[in-house]
This record gives sequence, C-alpha cells and structure tokens, in this order.
Amino acid sequence: MLLQEKYPEEIKGILARFPHKKSAVLPLMHLAQEAYGFTSREAMQEVAQILDLDPTHVLSLAGFYTLYYEEPVGKFVLEVCNDLACALRGADEFVQMASRKLDIPVDGTTNDGLFTLKTVMCLAACDRAPMLQCNLKFEEHLDEAKFDALISRLRAEAAAEKAEPSIVEQISAFAK
Amino acid sequence: MSDQVNLTIDGVELSVPNGTLVVDAAKMIENPIPVFCYHPKMAPVGMCRMCLVEIGLPVRDRNSGEPVLNDDGTPQVSFRGLQTACTVQVSEGMVVRTTTEVVTKAREDVIEFLLTSHPLDCPICDKGGECPLQNLTMEHGKGTSRMDYSLKMKLDKHVPLGELIYLDRERCIQCGRCVRFQEEIVDDPVIRFHNRGRSLEIVTMSDPGFDSYWSGNTTDICPVGALTTADFRFGARPWELTPVATLSPHCPSGANMTFSTRREAKSGGRSVIKRIMPRQNEPVNEIWISDRDRFVHHFADAPDRLKKPLMRKNGQLVEVEWGEALDAVAGKLQQSGTAVAGLSGDRVSNEDMFLFQKLFRQGLKSHNIDLANRRLAGGDVVAKVGISQGSNLLNLGQGDAIVVIASDLHEEVPVWWLRVKQAAQRGAELVILNLRPTRLDECSRNVIHYQPGQAIATLRQLVNDAKVAAADADNSPIKAAADVIMQANNVVAFYGAEGLTYAETDAVARLLANLLLIKNEEAYAGRPNNGLIPVWPHNNTQGAWDMGIHPALEPGYKPAAKPGMRANEVYAAAQTGALKALFLLAADPIGDGLMAGRGQLDFLVVQELFLTETAAQADVVLPAQSWAEREGTFTSGERRVQRYYPAIQPVGEARPDWQILAQIGERVGLEKPAFAASLVFRDLAKAVPQYKGMDYRALARVEKQWPDVGGDDLYYGGNAYENRVGLGMQWPAAAESGAVDHFEVADVDSELPGKVVVVRTAALFTPGTLINHTELLQARMAQPTLIIQAADAAKLQLAQGEKVMVEVAGRGVETAVRLSEDTPEGVALLRGVPYQAGLTELKVMG
Repeated sequence: MLLQEKYPEEIKGILARFPHKKSAVLPLMHLAQEAYGFTSREAMQEVAQILDLDPTHVLSLAGFYTLYYEEPVGKFVLEVCNDLACALRGADEFVQMASRKLDIPVDGTTNDGLFTLKTVMCLAACDRAPMLQCNLKFEEHLDEAKFDALISRLRAEAAAEKAEPSIVEQISAFAK
Repeated sequence: MSDQVNLTIDGVELSVPNGTLVVDAAKMIENPIPVFCYHPKMAPVGMCRMCLVEIGLPVRDRNSGEPVLNDDGTPQVSFRGLQTACTVQVSEGMVVRTTTEVVTKAREDVIEFLLTSHPLDCPICDKGGECPLQNLTMEHGKGTSRMDYSLKMKLDKHVPLGELIYLDRERCIQCGRCVRFQEEIVDDPVIRFHNRGRSLEIVTMSDPGFDSYWSGNTTDICPVGALTTADFRFGARPWELTPVATLSPHCPSGANMTFSTRREAKSGGRSVIKRIMPRQNEPVNEIWISDRDRFVHHFADAPDRLKKPLMRKNGQLVEVEWGEALDAVAGKLQQSGTAVAGLSGDRVSNEDMFLFQKLFRQGLKSHNIDLANRRLAGGDVVAKVGISQGSNLLNLGQGDAIVVIASDLHEEVPVWWLRVKQAAQRGAELVILNLRPTRLDECSRNVIHYQPGQAIATLRQLVNDAKVAAADADNSPIKAAADVIMQANNVVAFYGAEGLTYAETDAVARLLANLLLIKNEEAYAGRPNNGLIPVWPHNNTQGAWDMGIHPALEPGYKPAAKPGMRANEVYAAAQTGALKALFLLAADPIGDGLMAGRGQLDFLVVQELFLTETAAQADVVLPAQSWAEREGTFTSGERRVQRYYPAIQPVGEARPDWQILAQIGERVGLEKPAFAASLVFRDLAKAVPQYKGMDYRALARVEKQWPDVGGDDLYYGGNAYENRVGLGMQWPAAAESGAVDHFEVADVDSELPGKVVVVRTAALFTPGTLINHTELLQARMAQPTLIIQAADAAKLQLAQGEKVMVEVAGRGVETAVRLSEDTPEGVALLRGVPYQAGLTELKVMG
C-alpha cells in the first residue's frame, strides 16, 4: 500500500482526469515506480487493485513500455541513446566512457544505488548527440567533462535529498 | 442491401451472407486459406499474416457508378496487393485469388519468418502430428531458410503458468489466440503478452497462476506446442491416440468430449486415457470444456477402484465370485418382501436407471425408488415447459431475456455461464435473482438480491408484476425486471437450489413455468429458444426424472398408482427397522451425511466404483464400470439425450451397472439380460413416450457444423474436435405440442432458522470422490471457507482467517473465516463443503 500512502492526492487527481478508471494505468504505474523504486510485483498489484484491473494487464504494460523498470534501478537512470544517428556521433564511445567512470556495465547499478546506466533506442535528439535522458530529463551535446559535471551535480542533489523526482512533478502537474 | 453477397474465390463463384470474412467464405467451399492467429470463435486480429491473399474489387465508373467492363464483357477487377483474408469482409463482385505466385511466395515468406524463432523440436513436441504450424509448413513452406541456425533464440522451454498449463517460450509464434480466448471468450484475462518482438512471452500474475476454469482450452487452440497441459505433457504422440467420443460425467450441460486413448505396455497392454478434449456440438458446448471436465478422469483408472464383488462373511467384506454375490442380492431382496427400497445416484446412465426402477417396480413390486440425494425439484414441470427442441443458447441475443434464479452458474455449470454471458454480450437482457452477488451480475442490468428466505416471495412478486401493464405498477427493480421479461422475444429461465429446500425449488420451478406461460396463446414456453432449464446437480439428474427414479412417477412421468417412500423416509425407516433391505446404486448417503448409518437394516447392497463410507458398511458390494469403460446415454438439462462410448477395458471384473441390474432382475423373475446397452435403450424408449423415435443409431447422427473446426485438413489441429458419432436428440416438452395449464404453487413459508443463516454455495472444484482422484487439481480445490461480512463476524466474534468448526449436513467441518462485504447481512456463505440444502442456523462448534 506504499503507493496510496505516498501519493494519495496525486492518485485522486489522476483518476479525476479520465472518464474510465482503466485509462489512468500508465501515470499510476509511473507513480508506483517512484513509490516502490521499480514496478515490482507489489507495485503492479497495487495499481491493479486501485483500478480494478487484472494484475496481469498491468504486468503486460510494464513489459511493453521501456520506461517501466521491472528490476530495481538506481535513483538516477541514465539512458544513453546509441541508435544509428547517435552512434555516428560517438554514442558508443560515450557509453563505454560512462560505464568506465561509473564502474558498472550497461544495465548495471552503482553500489551506492545512485546510478543505473542503460542504452535506448532513438530519443529524437539526434542533432544533439551524444545525449542521454536522466529520469526523463534530456542532457545533450555531452562529452566526458559534461558527463563528470552531471554526475557530480546529481551526487550533490542526492546528498542534499533535494526535491521530488522529476516524474512525480510532471505527473502532479498533469493531475492538477 | 441484400443479405447475400456474391464473390469468386479461385474461379469458384459462391454466395455467402453479408459480413462473412473472406477466410470463412473460402472454408465454406473447402478451399481453406491457411491461418494461425485467426479463429472462427474470436474476432480477427490479422497478426500472423499467414492468410495473405490477393483480393480484387470490381472497377466502377466514377461518373456513372456503373461497373467497367473488359472488352470481352466481363467486369474489370482491380487488385490492390495482398490482404489478410481474416480481416476482410466479402463484398459484391469480389474476386479472391489464393493460388497465384505472389500468394504462394507470401506464404513461404511468412512461414520462413515464423520459423526463424521456432525451435523445430517437433520430434519431442506434444503437438507434433496435429500441429497447424507443422502441417502448414509442410504444405506452404519453402523447405529451406535463409536464417542462420546459430541465431535462433534460446528461451525457457518449461515455464509453468500455474500448475495446470506449461508454456514453451521457444515454440510460441505470438498469435495471441490464448490471450484473446481468455479475454474475449471467457472473460478471465489472467494471461497476457509481456515484452515485445522476439522477447515477447505469455505471462500470468494471478494466484494461483493462470487462474481460470477454462485454462485447458488454450492448449487446444494453440496452433503450436507452446501451451500444453500438465496432464498430457510428454504423455503420448498424437498419431498413437485413438479418439473415443464421450460426455461430461459431472455436468448437466452434457458437454461433448473426446477421450484420446492409447494402449500401453506399462499398463499391461490396457488402453489408457491420455487426455480429454472438447468435441464440437454447437448447441451444447461449442468447442469448449471446463477444466473439471478436462482433468477429472483419473478416477476411472484409479488403483482403489473396486475390482471384484465383495460379501460380508464373519463381519468382514471378502471377495467373492459374481454368481454368489448376485444370488445373495436377489435372494435377500426377495426375502424382504416389500420392505425394500432402491436409491440411485444421478450420475449413472439412463439404461442403468431404467433397469433399476424396473427391478424394484416389476421385479420386487415396490415403488420405494428415489434419488439418494434429491436437491432440485421440478422435473415434472420441465417436462411441460422445458427449453424447446431446436433451441440453442447461441441464438439468443438482442431482444431476448434470460432469467437465472438461485444459482451461481459460473461455479455450477460453467458451460451455461459462458453461453449466458455471451448471450448478454450479444444484447440479451439478464434478470438475475440471487441471495448474494454472483459473477453473472456484471453482465446484467436487472440484478435482484433478495433477503434470505425471500426467494419465493420475490419470484412471486416478479410473476405478479409481469401480469400488470407497465404503468399500473411502481417502478421497483422487480417491476423493471418483469417488464424486461414481458418485452422479450424469447425467454429462457435457469433455476438452481442455492439456499433453497427441495420444496422451495419446486415452487420456484412452478412460478417460472407460470412466467413462461403468462402470455397464454403466445406463451414463451413451447417455442424454440424459450423454456425452463434446471441447473441439475449432476450429469444425468434429468435422466433420473425421465426414467422414473421417483417414488411417485414411473418412466415417462406416469403417476404411480401407489407412491413409494421418498429417500428421506427410506433413511428414517432404515433406522427404525421398518425397512429391511436397501439397494444403493452409485450413492453414498452415509458419506453425504444423509443417513446416520445402516441402522436396523437386515441387508444393505451397494453398487459402486469405490469402497465409499456406505459401501464399507454394506453386506454386498458390487463393482460397477465407470463411464469410460462402457457405453450408455445421459440426458442433459436441456433434455438432450446423448451417447457416450467405451474407451478403456473394464477395471478388474467390474460390470456395467445396467448389466448387473439385469442379472439381478433375471434372478427375481424378470426377463433374461439384454446383450447390449442399445437393446436396453430400445426397451426404455418404448416405456418413455418422450424418447419415442430414439435409438442408438439416431442418437449417433451427425450433421455438418459451423464453424468447421474438425476434419482431415487439420485446419485447427487434432482428431478430437470433430463430432463423428452423435449430436444427440432433444425430447419435446409438452408445451411444444399443445397448451399447458398454469401451475398451482403451494405456499412454502420458510422461517429463518437463526440470526445468521448459513447458505452452502457451489464451487467447481469442491472435494468429492471423483475429483479427489485427480492429483493435479488438488491445489485448486475449494477449501472449506465461511464467508461473512465484518459486522456479522464481529457479533459472532469471528476474525479473518480464524479456523472454526461449523456443522454441515450433521457433521463438523473445519472452515476458515473470510470477511467479505459482498456477503449480505445475516448470511454466512459456506464454500468448499459437502452439499446442504436450504438455510440453516450457523452452529459454531466448540
């Protein structure tokens, strides 16, 4: 019941936006992912319960969309685009560099639980490659120095326990 | 617009109903277009692309709208590339080409593509031999692949979707038939796709996994070996299997099924039942069976079956020869004069029941004959206003109404639940009258939950409201329901026994009959797709009524001149000594809590499959053959008489029930036993006027059914689907041939026995002698549960999950308390416990 404890107002707001409860499943899954850290079995059960859906339906959506993580991830998920256009602009080398710096393989999570590194298909920012999205926020025109700066900033944010994760902000805005 | 559309497929001109899909039109002229994802019972999705064909439409002049003709006067046709035949509806003048080079090439490519992810492990695959993918690859595949074998996906091959169904991820071709079946047909969407592309797999999150009473059907419609049942998995190769037609031995729907048998060395050369699959009978069960029908067959081959007659000697039951046992039974029954009684179970065949009552009525001159456990009354009412001949629940839809009272069809007769639900989806209005919410409620706009003890009063109100015009009455939900019924074109009414006594079910049947007769000359009763359907507790309760297993009704509903004792009177008389000898045919009244013990009986004979509690106390135990070993007929709740056939050799020295009864009959002065069940049926068809014109040959008649799912082309795989040996025959209700009077309804006042009343509710997997022999289902058995709302629980000081002993049918049963606000106030539902009639007081034992 983590989701309902943590985001009761947001859930109410989201449900009010749709004529059918079922339609609220995707935003609720985002919230559940924040509450539970990933779309765990419990998270999906809870979403299903709120929306009167079969939990298998929620699981199926979690599998279909790549932004739902069915395994635990770090506080910040760094998703580097290495599709063709980005690769031509050095995305692959960038991923290798990031992997080395964070000392994790692709799809790995740092021991402090802060960072998960992933590669993804096109994020529609080919002209600004290498680029990545960090918890849905784009970081563009990257190089090694900018990556170091990004990591330092994120570490500092985490240390200061600053603000809500961006997805919750976005969903809250949507739910108003 | 005309209802028929003319088109041409591969040069063959045909006319089909408007709205027909191209793929079905082709099947109608036996020019099947290969498919994987398409299934005629489900909406098309066009996912697999196997059915690509060239479709051309006539060219019309833009200005005049007239067809443009070629020089030779034929209409000009414009082809627009390949289209999926499963998603395109026919239209006037359409030309379909399925044999051109471009179509052939497309099929080759689709097969090649599907096989890139397929392991080709046919030699160890359960589907190999009846596999649409295998067959269509042989027919339409190129035989080679451009795919590098080392690039094949390696995926899990033994993924349990629960303990009943296994998934082989490599074999799955992602057609989605199983997912669509669960969602579209049976509304249990507990399996779904997960991930995408080559990572796609079928998953379930229900607890237990794949939690549906219909899960086995997905293995039938799976066009590859991806889904298999734990029961049949690695059990046999399809080409070794012999199909033998049979019927559900549990269900009053009369579901048609097929045994697949094989002779096995490890069973000493005996034929063994390897699996059960549905057999097509569109008016009965279409091509679906519940998991109970599919998996509960192991009792037939169980090691604890009775194999030889047993007789009590010096206090012990010892094995004897048949002659000795039969002589003893005949002798003892005759010595007891008229102080004898015969009670039958409602699972045995019509032939058995007919000879059973004949033994008593003609052989022993006694009318003390009854069902051992009579739960639902109204057989005599059904004989007059039962659902008419030629009815098919598939025909009900928009403008029709279906009434369900005192029954949870989903748990009692899943096939009827499915067909009623589908009728509602087609637009039929459901009127549901129950004590508590059931699953059908969600399909109905007219749900009435009556108070405990108010079933009759509520139904009486409904019938009275139906008699008055809409404006003259208040706008209560009952009046609204009555209006729905009176405005319907067709009305079918189901009635059950939940929370009702036997006498109350009789009143229910009569009131419903009066509802069906209300319009007098234009009564619903007597017309096709109208009438009463009793939700009988067992597969052949209807047959028991027809055969005169009733103290006051002889075969064919002929009133007995001098009615005998009813079952409860027999049980009482056994205790007092008024009854000397009792014959129990496939019944276990001591185990069911109906009879305290053998009491003062001089002689107790039990004819059974197993050494039941009652049999253990008997003087003679006669081993009977199960339904898998012999032939016979059952009559369904829709009064359809159907045959079943012998599939395996008899166990031990067991004999068919009818034969044993005939051999006893001969010893008490009746004629010599018939040689075959068919001859017994011939005799009973003479004695039962309703069965006139029926014989084994007529019952075995088949006609072509649509959709065409059987056949040698293996379009849908396997040799089990096709119905080759009988669709059965319905017998006519009296209302079909003449007017039927309205029924007198006795006042049945039921007083509430306590502040909180107990209602025993049905569960499909309720423990019982037959189902307990299927190891596979044990984890799904309905556990004894007491379901009660929180407020009542608080008053009784019961807590969620607490174990309490409650009295059920005179015995203590340990149940777990479950709190549910769906339960009405003042009611405790008991699930997963033996049958108990009516409303009883909640007795929590210390």
